[in-house]
Amino acid sequence: MSLSIYNARLLDPATGLDGPGAILIEDGMIQEVSPGATAPHAAAAEILDAGGLCLAPGLIDLRVKTGEPGDEQKETLATASRAAVAGGVTSLVVMPDTQPVIDDVALVRFISDRAKASAQARIYPAGALTTGLKGEAMAEIGLMADAGAVLFTNGDSPVTNASIQKRAMTYAASRGAIVMSRPDDGALKGSGVMNGGAFAARKGLAGIPPEAEWIGAARDLMLAEATGCTLILDQVSTPRTLDLVRQSRDRGASVFTTIAAHSLFFNEIDVGDYLTYCKVNPPFRDEDTRQAMISALAAGKIDAVVSAHDPQPPEEKRLPFGEASFGAAGLETTLAALLSLVHDGPLDLLDALAPLTCRPADMLGLPQGRLAAATPADVILFDPGKPWLCDRDELLSRSTNSPFDGRRLQGRVMKTLIGGKFVFTR
Amino acid sequence: MSKAAIHYSFDHEHLLGINGLHPLDITHILDLANDYAEATRAGRRADPVLSGKTVVNLFFENSTRTMSSFEIAARRLGADVISMPVAQSSVKKGETLIDTAMTLNAMKPDVLVVRHSASGGAKLLSRKVDCAVVNAGDGTHEHPTQGLLDTLTIRRNKGQIEGLKVVICGDITHSRVARSTTLALHLLGAEVHLCAPRTLMPSGTETWGAASATSDFDAALAGADVVMMLRLQLERMDGAYLPSRREYFRYFGLTQERLSLAKDDALVMHPGPMNRGIEIESAIADGDRSVITEQVEMGVAVREAVLHLLAGGRP
Repeated sequence: MSLSIYNARLLDPATGLDGPGAILIEDGMIQEVSPGATAPHAAAAEILDAGGLCLAPGLIDLRVKTGEPGDEQKETLATASRAAVAGGVTSLVVMPDTQPVIDDVALVRFISDRAKASAQARIYPAGALTTGLKGEAMAEIGLMADAGAVLFTNGDSPVTNASIQKRAMTYAASRGAIVMSRPDDGALKGSGVMNGGAFAARKGLAGIPPEAEWIGAARDLMLAEATGCTLILDQVSTPRTLDLVRQSRDRGASVFTTIAAHSLFFNEIDVGDYLTYCKVNPPFRDEDTRQAMISALAAGKIDAVVSAHDPQPPEEKRLPFGEASFGAAGLETTLAALLSLVHDGPLDLLDALAPLTCRPADMLGLPQGRLAAATPADVILFDPGKPWLCDRDELLSRSTNSPFDGRRLQGRVMKTLIGGKFVFTR
Repeated sequence: MSKAAIHYSFDHEHLLGINGLHPLDITHILDLANDYAEATRAGRRADPVLSGKTVVNLFFENSTRTMSSFEIAARRLGADVISMPVAQSSVKKGETLIDTAMTLNAMKPDVLVVRHSASGGAKLLSRKVDCAVVNAGDGTHEHPTQGLLDTLTIRRNKGQIEGLKVVICGDITHSRVARSTTLALHLLGAEVHLCAPRTLMPSGTETWGAASATSDFDAALAGADVVMMLRLQLERMDGAYLPSRREYFRYFGLTQERLSLAKDDALVMHPGPMNRGIEIESAIADGDRSVITEQVEMGVAVREAVLHLLAGGRP
């Protein structure tokens, strides 16, 4: 079985490729990338004229929450993957914050087995760093890694006890495991529900100060330096956090950073009249901070962009702002959020794609995320200029708590292939 | 220009906050409220402009004072009033604010008066019902009728608002009264100075219209026309926000000596209930400059005016 896609604009941030050409897919793998080719590969059994659409590696999303197991009314692996492929996400890491928590081998295998049985996208489980995410005892990091967990995290419940965090990172380092942590000092975050500052004060909402992120980040960066553990700082939201990361890297630490796509698109004012779809953690920051983070992304100071997909059913969001759950659905809007930065000017197309493709692949050591021979044929065809209106009723995830609801966006995935097979066509 | 020459219409569907009102709206409410206050003082019965209307007091948070004030106001105008202290009932059964709102909405009230512990609670509810909603205090956001009654009390005693120096002192961070009163006074041209310990002073108070934010109560009081003390949540006194009651009173309590820094005819106000000896000396609270009981009286008048404008046609 072979497929040639031609008349495409090939985009591969891994090599800097941006130009017309064709690719040949055989047996689920990319067989040949042919920049400049104007005709399909003659030997291909099937031929697809891309009609000038962009052809890029499928997106790799390092942070997706689902409700499976335990909260299937929020999202299942099947519904999340359905939304993922519609958004161009072909590989995703699911968080361990489920019920029960993914904190042992059997549950890691459960996720892998359920994904094989029901999901269209490639799904990689993240294991809990501590049992039950309670922050009290280290989970079986080695055994879970052997069973397929690609990283270890306490998800939305950062480990408050620095000693336990240090031990877990020490152990993870000894097993070559990656730890991902959300830099968040719980005491400083307190009961905060949106960005701390004048707008929160005026709305009468408790603020989350940026110091909560700085203190949390500083602690885990120091522990990464002390233990030699590879650390991913999850969803950073302020430039000062990036300064801390740079200093730590200068001292030799192996640290990566991610940012949520919606944090690059919205600012705190979007909370408006208590719009709970805009209640996320980290919160949407002020406009200066947002612009600084866009500049940092353009300068390559942020390694990966994540959807931070966190589905919440209506009963969790149809509440007063302070009482509503944190979280936004994001799988179907991540690419459009990044493309908005391309249309607005601060990013070029390859810079926008790199943190969604090759860079997260490199962080996890995955072969996909690039247009290269002998790599999995996970690719997307998208129209970067196609305008669309985000209507939550048309989103494919089970929970549709999207801050993009009602927004006009530009740039849409038209086809998604995983392992050379079409899994989504618009 | 005479009043009669100004074409004015109060075009607001709800009263969710002072934010969003025009100074003319505020003046109009105050004028009507003043008429109601005078009528009550003169022993005249108000016209039953809300006859046949139903006002529901929906209090998710306990507040006997405010609920009673709204109830008296609505009854004076002839409305049928149902007061529901739902803090004890439906919330505990797991019913959400929206569920409660939709249930009540089906009963076709004309006005819902809502108090809720969450900022934005009244706004959320207003999106789900067909009737007018009055915010009777939502979390730490706004308490618009309190802001209006404070403003009316000052205007009656000082003759005007414009140009007055008003000092509001206390727990500004957690006070919905401070937000609403500052906004209302600023819109009418007063110079509002906020005073609190740094731990209880939020950022960005200039966006409410405050002229300054300080921790130096003595400096703030210099030349003040009005001194408004705020209630301190006593549970905030120790450990987290403040060292002790004694220390708070030392720096932020209104004493006779401190009051002498303000103008000789400065008004003393407090939204109540007061912590005597912590926020304010008893002698001042009960003294001749205090208009604290008049604030309560004006509360009813303002609520009559608001209910009238939202449910009883537009004079």
